[in-house]
Amino acid sequence: MKAKHLLAAAALAVLFGGQARAEDATLDLVGPIADYKIYVSENLQKLVSDTQAFTDAVKAGDVEKAKSLFAPTRMSYEAIEPIAELFGDLDASIDSRADDYEAAEKDPAFPGFHRLEYGLWEQNSTEGLAPIADKLMADVNELNGLITNLTLPPEKVVGGAAALMEEVAATKISGEEDRYSHTDLWDFKANFDGSQKIFELVRPLIEQKEGDFVKKVADNFATVDTTLAKYKDGEGYQLYDKLSEEDRKVLATAVNTLAEDLSTLRAKLGLS
Amino acid sequence: MSVEGKGTAAPGRIVPFAVAGTALLAVASGALFYYATISRKADPAQEVIKVEVGAKACNPNDLTVPAGRRTFEIHNASDRPVEWEILDGIMVLEERENIVPGFRQTLTANLKPGAYEITCGLLSNPRGKLTVTATAASDAAAQAGPDLKAFIGPLSEYKVFLVMQGSALESATRKLVDAVKAGDLETARAAYGAARLPYRQVAAVVGRWSDLANAVDPVAAYLEKREQDPAFTGFHRIEYGLFGQNSTEGLGPVADKLLADVGELKTRLRALKPVPEDLPEGAAKLARLLADGKIESGESAYAQSDLPELDASLAAIGKMAGLVKPLIPAGSENLAGDLDGRLAAVRQALDAFRKDGAWPAYDKVDAAQRKALADNFRALADTLDKVSQRLSVE
Repeated sequence: MKAKHLLAAAALAVLFGGQARAEDATLDLVGPIADYKIYVSENLQKLVSDTQAFTDAVKAGDVEKAKSLFAPTRMSYEAIEPIAELFGDLDASIDSRADDYEAAEKDPAFPGFHRLEYGLWEQNSTEGLAPIADKLMADVNELNGLITNLTLPPEKVVGGAAALMEEVAATKISGEEDRYSHTDLWDFKANFDGSQKIFELVRPLIEQKEGDFVKKVADNFATVDTTLAKYKDGEGYQLYDKLSEEDRKVLATAVNTLAEDLSTLRAKLGLS
Repeated sequence: MSVEGKGTAAPGRIVPFAVAGTALLAVASGALFYYATISRKADPAQEVIKVEVGAKACNPNDLTVPAGRRTFEIHNASDRPVEWEILDGIMVLEERENIVPGFRQTLTANLKPGAYEITCGLLSNPRGKLTVTATAASDAAAQAGPDLKAFIGPLSEYKVFLVMQGSALESATRKLVDAVKAGDLETARAAYGAARLPYRQVAAVVGRWSDLANAVDPVAAYLEKREQDPAFTGFHRIEYGLFGQNSTEGLGPVADKLLADVGELKTRLRALKPVPEDLPEGAAKLARLLADGKIESGESAYAQSDLPELDASLAAIGKMAGLVKPLIPAGSENLAGDLDGRLAAVRQALDAFRKDGAWPAYDKVDAAQRKALADNFRALADTLDKVSQRLSVE
């Protein structure tokens, strides 16, 4: 009798356990993470074709064309920067700054977008840039292949939205990233859009319970959007030195608050 | 149950037990207290691990810590702002960026046993090593099955896969419709073969919608009037026309209906909420479905295109298996290795038929060969069942 009861209880536990499991809210994240992967893949496809055109211009010695393609090409890279931690090596190879190298700009190891930016703007030349352009193209192709086959860890995706805002607040806001071309506002736009995408995808999961939080974050993203929109110039943005002190402060305040607020998103979604 | 069990014991026997129990508890708590006092200093979980980042390297540059939540204090002793990262392969596990010269920052990471690398300041500096050793707690965690959270990533990836294959299926079906309506038999035959491949990739989930499965993929053998039955629709009806009757005649409306059904399928795939069971169990069911009948009888009676279609099914099984493989707990003997072995064996058995990149017609594959292939799929299904049990998502 007892053994039978035990079996029945175990069977019930399995039955209900399985059901509870399948209906658990944890799995509500599957849709948003899947949509985010598609967003990343679309950006990567654009990055591959844009980088091809940009590096072709560099290799053809066309300084003006290469300069005009630099900032727009970077946007699809900057849009996926929330998950750059998933590809640390390639991020260093594609997007590191001169400060990361002992001899700074003169260091032969200084690679990627910013090495090309240095050549195009500071030296106004494409001389010696062909191998760097080839390496950048190869890295971007490698990144595309890597991400296609990579399962995105949800805590890295959600955490990435905050991490990128922290990085913008801590360093990028000074205009350090595109220090030779001063096209930082293009990057900002893409960085904010990339973080906001993550927030918008998980927003329906917390809208009910965290109404105030959701509104505050959405308002701060809106403030950033409105502020950046003032500097829109054709398809892109004005140079960073055109940013007024007042607007720089507005952006800095918004991004600091976003960094702080978004850092609680993982816990709100049960991912910590 | 345990309460009932105790109640059956004579009361007289409980008292001494209780007394002994209390005494034991007292001794145990004393021992615990003693242990806590002597081990306070030695307990690595309480200790902050200090790392100094110099101009050329970290000190220490080779760390060994036990698994679990560990806190590091990074002191930037160089004259430039630096970052400090823990790398798992190419993935940054945790990092602290922009540590200003002279400043200290702390970082807490939940570490699993294994070998990690550390970036120390300049990218040109040699990387440090971090060795994380197993503990009783990490061993126990390795034995336990994955929690629900661990499935979010794989299920998201599976959903992306289904959505992409759904889109590929729709555009391939559109080409088939165009060729059929143009009366171009050769192009239509090629388009049929091409459209079947993405269909086979999503077939494991189509089965859950009987309306769609019956409209898109019915075989004549299961219908009362066989090829003449009005319910004979979808892919195989087109296959029958193109390969059985060598004609595109009358196939236009069938193809239009197929495209509409495939559109509905794509919509349902987009709305699908996959659950953990869909992965290992779905893969096992698909492998067994093929092994128990379809491989031996053959499914494409007119086109004889079973081999390339099995190739697509195997790719789908491989996709699902690959997504759950990282979730197999470390303490599962060699289950992950067995799974790889089984997948490779089926792959090899199937590839053996391919000659110069082309698949032979299925009627050239004899009964013994079919049985051997089915046995291979069955063994894979058995292993996938074990994976399913180990992940307790049966």
